[in-house]
Amino acid sequence: LSKPSQVSSGQKLGPQNFIDETSDIENLLKEEEDYKEENNDSKETSGALKWKEDLSRKAAEAFLRQQQAAPNLRKLIYGTVTEDNEEEDDDTREELGGLFRVNQPDRECKHKADSLDCSRFLVEAPHDWDLEEVMNSIRDCFVTGKWEDDK
Amino acid sequence: MATQAHSLSYAGCNFLRQRLVLSTLSGRPVKIRKIRAREDNPGLRDFEASFIRLLDKITNGSRIEINQTGTTLYYQPGLLYGGSVEHDCSVLRGIGYYLESLLCLAPFMKHPLKIVLRGVTNDQVDPSVDVLKATALPLLKQFGIDGESFELKIVRRGMPPGGGGEVVFSCPVRKVLKPIQLTDPGKIKRIRGMAYSVRVSPQMANRIVDSARSILNKFIPDIYIYTDHMKGVNSGKSPGFGLSLVAETTSGTFLSAELASNPQGQGAAVLPEDLGRNCARLLLEEIYRGGCVDSTNQSLALLLMTLGQQDVSKVLLGPLSPYTIEFLRHLKSFFQIMFKIETKPCGEELKGGDKVLMTCVGIGFSNLSKTLK
Repeated sequence: LSKPSQVSSGQKLGPQNFIDETSDIENLLKEEEDYKEENNDSKETSGALKWKEDLSRKAAEAFLRQQQAAPNLRKLIYGTVTEDNEEEDDDTREELGGLFRVNQPDRECKHKADSLDCSRFLVEAPHDWDLEEVMNSIRDCFVTGKWEDDK
Repeated sequence: MATQAHSLSYAGCNFLRQRLVLSTLSGRPVKIRKIRAREDNPGLRDFEASFIRLLDKITNGSRIEINQTGTTLYYQPGLLYGGSVEHDCSVLRGIGYYLESLLCLAPFMKHPLKIVLRGVTNDQVDPSVDVLKATALPLLKQFGIDGESFELKIVRRGMPPGGGGEVVFSCPVRKVLKPIQLTDPGKIKRIRGMAYSVRVSPQMANRIVDSARSILNKFIPDIYIYTDHMKGVNSGKSPGFGLSLVAETTSGTFLSAELASNPQGQGAAVLPEDLGRNCARLLLEEIYRGGCVDSTNQSLALLLMTLGQQDVSKVLLGPLSPYTIEFLRHLKSFFQIMFKIETKPCGEELKGGDKVLMTCVGIGFSNLSKTLK
């Protein structure tokens, strides 16, 4: 007895769905028509598809903004507290048979702690200064480059 | 002990100089443990011991305790005294290693410092005396440290491993420092350089000049590279050659780059042409980084801003070097100063990479030991 009822309910739902879909499509079509009309209006006034042009620029700007936000310098510099806690490494180390201590492999910061004390900022990934576009990237740093309007 | 409680504790030999310098300026004792504790040859090296001896010479009443293996150092700073001093630097590091710290301390002495330093003037690791003379001295002048007695003179050149160089550094004392507002780096109007050669053919320097010019001429015509060939006792104990380049902007910013030949008996021989070209490219990299202060002197500028009068100081820098980042952390722990750090994107302009604007209010440090005349 349950099977037919399900079928009937399915049949009932079918047309309803269909109606919904058609109405949806109708709505969409209407919107599109409306939109086309708007487009026609804007063509006359301020040029076609202005929002689309903006889109790529906006995306580029948003991407750049995100890129800049990613290395939050203040957090990078002041966020991590690298204090030297004397007690910790004496107590928490495992002991083997109550006599030997397990010598943990050097962590990254430990390795850094004993590296060379030098103020020079070495260039890690040098640019290829023979390329025209790389050379152009610093053109305006020189007096021979382009000047700002106010100077 | 009462002072022990205020002391700051660090581990490892890295950043030893900035810790000791900031300790001296702030008066807070510092304890450094585990200096190369895990290495086959543990403890302080000769050049670090020499640095500590130098600090002892220019201060009065410092207490220095080093344990038997040299892995732990306790430093309780005395008063900066200054006066006429001579010091034999270790040849393991350049004189620049010592001079950088002296530049931080010299303005705050009781008596103006006049110091003779002997050792290696130019090497591949530390900023050379030529570069410090061309970049750090103009920077100090921006803070109001100026005068006839303010000079750095290279009497003799010395290359590693033998050394044998000699420089004279004299610096006047100041009670207070001027705050700075360096936000516009200006445009590069000229490039100057120094190609030096000691105990090799003087022709080496000319070959360096030609190759460096070939690259830099594409950007600016105003280039002059001096050649400096020292002879006899003035040429030190080891042969070598090198080049230092400095770009000067319309607003008085100096950006530098340098290269030196491999020390005698270490590594392959370097062609002067290659050295000149590579050094010119390094200068272009430095220009790409940009900012109002050379990447080597970032920490010096930030220190003097911190110690300035209670006023806002601003400086535009290129990307911060790892040394500078650690220095900022140390400034926070010694002086409780935190900088405002703003990233300035380069945008559409053809002016190299992104810049960083650093802002702080000085702590109003004043040199109380300076004698009034």
